Amino acid sequence: MIGKISRFELTIRVILLVVFFLFFMFPIYWMVATSLKNTVDIFSIPPKWFFKISLDNYWYIISDDSGFLKKIFNSSIASILNAIFTLLLTFPAAYSMSRYKTGGINLLMWFLSIRMIPPIVGAIPLFIIFSKLGLVDTFIALPILYIVINLPFAIWMIKSFIDEIPKEIDESAYVEGCSTTGVIIKIIIPLIRPGIFATLVFCFIMAWNEFLIAYIFTRKEAITAPVGVARFITERQILWGYITAGATLASILPIVLLVIFQKNLVRGLTLGAVK
Amino acid sequence: MTKILNFFNIGRVGNYPLYMVLPAVIVLLLLTIYPFIYLVYVSLYIWPISPTLPRIFLGFGQFTYLFSNPAFIESMQVTINLMVVGVTIQISLGMLLAILLSTKSRITNYFTLPFMVPVFVSPVVVGLIWKFMFNYDLGILNYLLNVIGLESVNWLGTTTTAFWSVVIIDTWQWTPFTTLIIKAGLDSMDPTPQEAATVDGASRFQIFTLVTFPSIAPIFAVALLFRTLDAFKAFDIIYIVTRGGPGGSTYVLGYNIWKTAFYQNQLGLAAAMSVVMIIIATILAFILVRIMKGLMER
Repeated sequence: MIGKISRFELTIRVILLVVFFLFFMFPIYWMVATSLKNTVDIFSIPPKWFFKISLDNYWYIISDDSGFLKKIFNSSIASILNAIFTLLLTFPAAYSMSRYKTGGINLLMWFLSIRMIPPIVGAIPLFIIFSKLGLVDTFIALPILYIVINLPFAIWMIKSFIDEIPKEIDESAYVEGCSTTGVIIKIIIPLIRPGIFATLVFCFIMAWNEFLIAYIFTRKEAITAPVGVARFITERQILWGYITAGATLASILPIVLLVIFQKNLVRGLTLGAVK
Repeated sequence: MTKILNFFNIGRVGNYPLYMVLPAVIVLLLLTIYPFIYLVYVSLYIWPISPTLPRIFLGFGQFTYLFSNPAFIESMQVTINLMVVGVTIQISLGMLLAILLSTKSRITNYFTLPFMVPVFVSPVVVGLIWKFMFNYDLGILNYLLNVIGLESVNWLGTTTTAFWSVVIIDTWQWTPFTTLIIKAGLDSMDPTPQEAATVDGASRFQIFTLVTFPSIAPIFAVALLFRTLDAFKAFDIIYIVTRGGPGGSTYVLGYNIWKTAFYQNQLGLAAAMSVVMIIIATILAFILVRIMKGLMER
């Protein structure tokens, strides 16, 4: 914005930022704090700001009774497989679209428009199709379905990374007798390695956090962590201690990955709008 | 030189570029266009979820039923209300936050990362934390209201408050998204016109409305449309926090379709609703694509 602002205005701006910081961070803090309280403290009024840390909720969550670790494991499988599938499909396409303008802007926009399909709309026919194929509640269903969600992001993301490599580098390699495959393996991939990692991580997080598709396409064996957390809401009561502990466990990984890869992840989220 | 390069490109490339795009395109077609055709087919039937029950052909009967069904119309209304109210708040706050974060000072750098966290937390987790905070007896929000001498609010218990509670949760999760996009627009702006306007003695309000805003307007529109389309898809938070209630006040289209299909076992009717939903989404997506194209060809 405008270069110089007065000291007074700077103060106002920082105060506003702190207010928003509290607004965005407090719910996360409250989730973690609640997960570390024992049942009595969770239900105490007034709420306890200082309490004795209890790991009871976590002991239950990681015990075999809750089966939550199995769900974390399922989430990992689904998310890792999906990230790999998506990358394998995306990288060649993004390379071709970046270097040869294959399909032009219209193909790029077609990928973008896929992102706009409401998942519930796709879920209904795909549920019937997957039921017929016997794929519901299997480990392969979610990785395949999440391709629809992640591929548009990944194409735009990887393409924006390849676009940044000057074409002259490819061309000089061709002059020296490199094949297209050689250029991709020896030049493009090493240069955009951070971008490839960020894309894998981005797809991983999106798949990890997804709820609706996981809820519809899993029954028992392949249930993921978000579905598992949601299931702690029972008919009779809401088990806040277990819920917040499960929710904390399910959120640690995405938040840690965000901290490590922040800049490049934002690029995925905004489809390359943020450079 | 160019001749040599052309020779090499033709010699080495051939149909490579096309083949490289094909797998992604084919997989997406299989997972979108084929299901879409199937969806339209299903929408013409009374289609129970259990394969043993009979299917009955109705033609467009379910569509005429839908548009004479007050519950469906109301659910459209709720979806649009939530979309308009939520997105307006998120885009305005996003603008404000983007300006705050662009303050040229070292302190502001520390805020960017924490402001991004909500987007990367699962909507299920977000819904559950807020459901706990909104709890009438145990919730921290009512406690804080009591501390400053106000009455407890039955956040999720009445039609108006439940609607606004969902807006608050959505705003918490998605304002960071609009902030990031608008901030990208501000960062990539050429500062010269602003400086020129300052020299010419324009007030800061004038500079913002006449110089800054017009130049970020397209990216602002992109943020607006992305959020509008995502808000149109709303399901997770509604499912976790209100289940469409109370009294249908948060009964959005996405939740309505899910419930019709997988709770009431009427896949055909849900498919008909889905067809309506995807037509609306297509219109919105078409507008977005037009703006994005303009932005990229600039």
